[in-house]
Amino acid sequence: MAEKTVVKGFKIEPKQLRIYGLVGSVVGIYLAYILNSVTGTNIFSFVGALAALFGVVMGANAVRRVCAYGIGTGVPSIGMLSLGMGTVAVLFGLNIAEQLGVGLLGVILALVYSLIFGYVVGLIANRVMGFNIPIMEEGLTDLSGAGTLAILGWCFAISGSLAYADIVKDVFNTGFLAIIFICGGLAILHPFNANLGPDEKQDRTLVNGVMVGGMSTIATGICALMTLGLAAGMVQIVVGFAIWYYFYVWYFRLAKRDASAVVGTGLLPPSAL
Amino acid sequence: MDAFGMGLVAAMGALATVAGASEDIDSDIGSQSNPNSQVQLAAQVGNPHRIYNKAIAGEPPSNALWCTTAAIMAYVLIEGYHMPLLFAVAAGASLAALFDGVMSTSAYFGRSASQARFNQWIYLDIVRYTTPSIMAHVWITSFCICLIAVIQVYILTPHHPFPIPVIGLVWGLTVGAIGSSVGDIHYGGEREFQWRLFGQGLNTMLSGQIVRKAEAGLRNSIDNAWFCAKFGGPCTGLAFGLTVFLDNWRTTVFDPVTQAGAAIAMGLFFVIVMNLYNHYCEVSARRKYGPYPGYKGDIPA
Repeated sequence: MAEKTVVKGFKIEPKQLRIYGLVGSVVGIYLAYILNSVTGTNIFSFVGALAALFGVVMGANAVRRVCAYGIGTGVPSIGMLSLGMGTVAVLFGLNIAEQLGVGLLGVILALVYSLIFGYVVGLIANRVMGFNIPIMEEGLTDLSGAGTLAILGWCFAISGSLAYADIVKDVFNTGFLAIIFICGGLAILHPFNANLGPDEKQDRTLVNGVMVGGMSTIATGICALMTLGLAAGMVQIVVGFAIWYYFYVWYFRLAKRDASAVVGTGLLPPSAL
Repeated sequence: MDAFGMGLVAAMGALATVAGASEDIDSDIGSQSNPNSQVQLAAQVGNPHRIYNKAIAGEPPSNALWCTTAAIMAYVLIEGYHMPLLFAVAAGASLAALFDGVMSTSAYFGRSASQARFNQWIYLDIVRYTTPSIMAHVWITSFCICLIAVIQVYILTPHHPFPIPVIGLVWGLTVGAIGSSVGDIHYGGEREFQWRLFGQGLNTMLSGQIVRKAEAGLRNSIDNAWFCAKFGGPCTGLAFGLTVFLDNWRTTVFDPVTQAGAAIAMGLFFVIVMNLYNHYCEVSARRKYGPYPGYKGDIPA
């Protein structure tokens, strides 16, 4: 067994992470939009996918906080709930912004709507259904926002535009929302689900989230091959692969750091035989 | 009703049967879904093991992910690059298998590392030889499901109005749900507790006391695939195949627009016949194997 080497780890406060998630994601989506408009191409659509990763990390942290209250089998459900709220919020926000004539503010409108929506769902879960989890409202607000930002980011990565009509044409009518929904959902719920257990660590969980986010970026890159063309799609696939590879290796090192032992082969631990 | 359409419906039924069987065996190799809770508990009650712990969000969402991944790849290749249908579906299934490999290994590493205090080791040889067989089964599942979606959208008339990724998502959820409720019981109820008497149920005292030692050496997940391929897998395949076949059969024989009443009546007929058969199976199993020796009459709840 190789001796344990020092692996980069981190610990971030939920409030700090929320700011990073919200600001990073919104700024990223607008940055992608500006880069695309200024250069007149759609090659920078992959920045939207990177922006979605900030939302994913925020969501994954919210899942681990809420589900640490003993929700084991509910982890997948809460992830799906997050993306479900996100889908509604994205459609609502973009459509309303378009109708009010402020198409560009669609991202902000969707985000604000989703935060309120998540808070109300959290209130219902706690007060009406009686979950009695102290941070349920906070957690679902985070999750709803994270789901919205993830969907918006990856929608931009596929359609290369923030216009409601373009997103409906490229993402909803082609059915690519299905992959954003399920792959984005897994990016938010898989981290905690895969690391469930008493020795779960924040850095390992979040690194896993970014890794699955990288896979989603590969998937949206494949969709973009059709909607945006070969160049923009390939850039996105390569970026997604790079993210996935870097974070997968990091994740494996963190797992090695935290495991009681990593062995090539062998019988059960001596204590259990 | 035309012969070609009926042939396609039969082909879809056959594909669904294969998909269901491979889906169940894939989840059994990885101890996903229903049996997973016991595999997870085992280490916590002092029984570290050498069984794969592939916790990917329960079967319906994870299979929806594989099938949707295969479907988007196939859709892009067919619509955007005019590739042959079969090639596109095979390429999609390969991508889905790769995605599954990443998710499975990350779940195994993560779950085992999170049980460090219970001395659950990470065995790299298990990752090396079990993950490829999980991926192979996922390849078969997503290939079959994606092909069903392609048949529905491009070949079967009338063409299905939805795009392939959405149909892949729905079929993936369905096959996962059926695998979770049909085949997993065979692994979770029988294989993990094979020393248990019939009718005993699983009481709390037995939680986590799964079988960890095999006929020779320590039990691994490939042994579980061998066991489940004999009954649980085919059973799941049959359940899913019949669901797909019978449902499409009634709308192919009877025109859904002009003969809607007949199609609905046929559906009701199937439901009644299946319920009667289920009842017969249960009664006959109880007659042959029961009752549990320790049975002391019904205890009021």
